[in-house]
Amino acid sequence: MLKWYEENVPDGDVVISSRVRLARNLEDYKFSPLLDEGEAVKLVDQVKGITSTLAEEDHRKYYSCNIKSLSDIDKAAMVERHIVSPLLVDKEQTTGLILSEDETVSIMINEEDHLRIQAIVGGMNLEKAYEVANHIDDLAYDKLKIAYDEKYGYMTSCPTNVGTGMRASCMVFLPALSAAKLIQKLIEEVGRYGVTIRGIYGEGTKSLGSIYQISNQKTLGNSEREIIQNLNRIVDQVMKQERKRREYMLSLNTDEIEDQVYRAYGILKYARQITPDDAMTLLSQIKFGADSGLIKFDREFNVHKMMMGVQPGSLQWTLGKNVGSTTRDKSRAEYISKELPRLI
Amino acid sequence: MLCDRCKLRDAKVLYTEIINGAKSEQHLCEECATDYTSFQMEKPLLNSDMTLNSLLSTLLGAYHSNTANKPGEKKPDLVCDKCNTSYDEFLQRGRFGCSGCYKSFNNVLGKTLRGIQGAEAHTGKRPKGFMSQADNILKDLSEEERLSFELQKAIENEEFEEAARLRDIIRHLKKEETNNA
Repeated sequence: MLKWYEENVPDGDVVISSRVRLARNLEDYKFSPLLDEGEAVKLVDQVKGITSTLAEEDHRKYYSCNIKSLSDIDKAAMVERHIVSPLLVDKEQTTGLILSEDETVSIMINEEDHLRIQAIVGGMNLEKAYEVANHIDDLAYDKLKIAYDEKYGYMTSCPTNVGTGMRASCMVFLPALSAAKLIQKLIEEVGRYGVTIRGIYGEGTKSLGSIYQISNQKTLGNSEREIIQNLNRIVDQVMKQERKRREYMLSLNTDEIEDQVYRAYGILKYARQITPDDAMTLLSQIKFGADSGLIKFDREFNVHKMMMGVQPGSLQWTLGKNVGSTTRDKSRAEYISKELPRLI
Repeated sequence: MLCDRCKLRDAKVLYTEIINGAKSEQHLCEECATDYTSFQMEKPLLNSDMTLNSLLSTLLGAYHSNTANKPGEKKPDLVCDKCNTSYDEFLQRGRFGCSGCYKSFNNVLGKTLRGIQGAEAHTGKRPKGFMSQADNILKDLSEEERLSFELQKAIENEEFEEAARLRDIIRHLKKEETNNA
């Protein structure tokens, strides 16, 4: 079964993925920050108990585990693939995970809220992501006593999530806008519509390879559908601006950009050592070149899958062992050289 | 020298503003300087979660102290009966203790949420099978009582066509009843 980042997707030149996350809590437990270890274990076990229901009703294969049972490499790789949050794996208390085989659906257990139901799909498709997450939410509601209030909606640990408990986000690739130093202006502009732009791994993280996350800020007062429609409009605008910038950049400096894209290919194909940051920058140049038709390969290949593959955790996961950073840089160069298709 | 704005604390910052060529100078304390100018007095915290937390509690706290400082108004001393979290603790942590806190803090929460979210009530998804208190009461009513309740609601919402429709159904039901009797 293909994972979401292995499929060809709508508007993939700008929007890498669409994600919806729903925060839910159980009535019978205190919120996660106040739980003691015994209660945390009980909570994680109880929520893991719905795994078989999900498998029956959602027609995907599901796995569940306690995060503590995973190796450090597994944890790091999962954070890099956006399956789990850094908080979930760093927490000392028992935390858990339910994950679908295609990595579309994940439920983090005992993160900041008891359940964080997440659905990721490739490309620009928030409706689909919501549909999937909403279905899982319905199934969970039937099995667990989920805290819902007539007035406040879904009750969450942090008041910034109450109501729908929903955070919808698109991961976007904005090389032209960031080259033109327009991201800061964009952040200010979209802020007026209750939307935020952040680095690739969420709050406070830097952007790698011109990849950003655009998401809704408020969760109360608007329905799920309204939040998604609003975000769709904004992302659509960002997409248009990015494409216009790309065209402009290309019309102005085609030769320089083409040279840069081919140089990036040369380095990635033949370098013997490469750091993750360099790899991300060069891969984003390749993606830009491929999306603009400047560079063509002898087979289909997904740059974003490779962008995740070059991260330290995923790389060691592929290698099957923990290695130091110099060795990693060498292995990374080998991995890229092998995965990168030939030019035609 | 005291701060020009609050006239309470010592001035530590000389703030010069030039607008359209007109220059003005103010001596400000650190607090006022942070509030009124782009000065950042504290180093930004590196941990993003910490910043969010402290930002939240500042936001919540600011609202709280505004209300508490009004003369004649008593500081709310609320404690959640389910998890013992007090309203003050909630403000400090920026986190609720349990779902019961929402009920316990109900009277003061509306304005707090408006400050953060710009809204006080949820309008989105309602889980299938969720029974609110009103639903539970309605469930035990007879058909006629339920219709009268809906009629009342329609009139309050000025939905007169719906109200007329409901009124006719109720009349019809009453007629049937008398006929049966």
